[in-house]
Formats: sequence, C-alpha cells, structure tokens
Amino acid sequence: MRIATIHGHAVSTVKHRSLEGWRLLIAQPRNNEGEPDGPPQLVIDCLGAGIGQRVLISSDGMEARAMVEDQHSPVRWNVMGIIDPEGQPAR
Amino acid sequence: MRIGTVAGRVTLAVRHPRYQGERLLLTLPWRAETFAHPDQFDPCIVVYDELGGGVGQVIAISEGREAACPFQGPVPVDAYAAALIDGHFYKP
Repeated sequence: MRIATIHGHAVSTVKHRSLEGWRLLIAQPRNNEGEPDGPPQLVIDCLGAGIGQRVLISSDGMEARAMVEDQHSPVRWNVMGIIDPEGQPAR
Repeated sequence: MRIGTVAGRVTLAVRHPRYQGERLLLTLPWRAETFAHPDQFDPCIVVYDELGGGVGQVIAISEGREAACPFQGPVPVDAYAAALIDGHFYKP
C-alpha cells in the first residue's frame, strides 16, 4: 500500500465491463519527502475521495477484482482509505 | 492502471499460439510531468487492446498479472487496454 494524493479524475465510455459504474481517480504516489514518486495511477474508488486528499492506495489485484465482483477484471489499484488531514491529531 | 497515449500499431508476422486476432497498440505511458509537459513520456510499451483504441487516443493501461485476467486461461500479456479515456480533469 502506498500514500498518494488525488490529483483528478478520468471519464471513460468504452471500457472493460468490470469498470462500469466505478469512479476513476488520478492518484500520484508520494515518497518519504512527500514528493511525487513514480507515474500517476488510475485507481478505482468507492469511498468518495476528492481532489487534493491524501489516500491509501493498494495494488492488491485480488481485492480489486473482489470489489468489482469480476474475476476477469484488469483492475489493480484501488483506494483503501482516506488519510486524516495533516496537522490533525491521530485518533 | 497507468495512463498512456497511443502512438501507433504493431502487427505480427509470426505470433504466439495464444495470440489470435490480436490488436497491439504502441503506447507512450504518462509520467507525473506529462500533465504539465505533454511531450514527456516514459519509454513506449506494447499494449494488448480489445476496445478499439486508435492513434492519439488516451487509454488506461493495466499492467502485470492483472493484464492477463480478462482472458480465459494463461496468456502471455503484461499490458492491457482497460479503458479508452474520453477526458480527464487534473488539478495537482
């Protein structure tokens, strides 16, 4: 799992059937210094993450296939959680 | 899934037995800088396509193990066009 920032979203009409109805967000993974690290990833999201929010993204393809309920889905990255805003005390 | 721009097609004279009627796209994967500098890409990769992507189109590329998931049985595919991107909103 990696920490990433949501930078935007993508819209698609022609896509694999398993992606129907899913939000496609553009997530930029971050390194230890909080700088962009690696290419931006398209991730599926069911938690309602918004632009600018830090999220936890997972590359667990098996979990992604379970989420979309299709064992033949090519989806890998998915949003596992929305991280508390910086400066907010841990709960 | 990565974002990529289709730059061309690849056709095969001789193919792996599991490739039948394949459509292969020469694709330039985006990097973080591509949003600000649209001429900067990672080295091109070949992507298996079943959606009908064309040159200049932006696609979502599924890589690794998941690229072979849409097929029945084992297939030697490690990059698959999962979606044709109509548009995107980007605000870093």
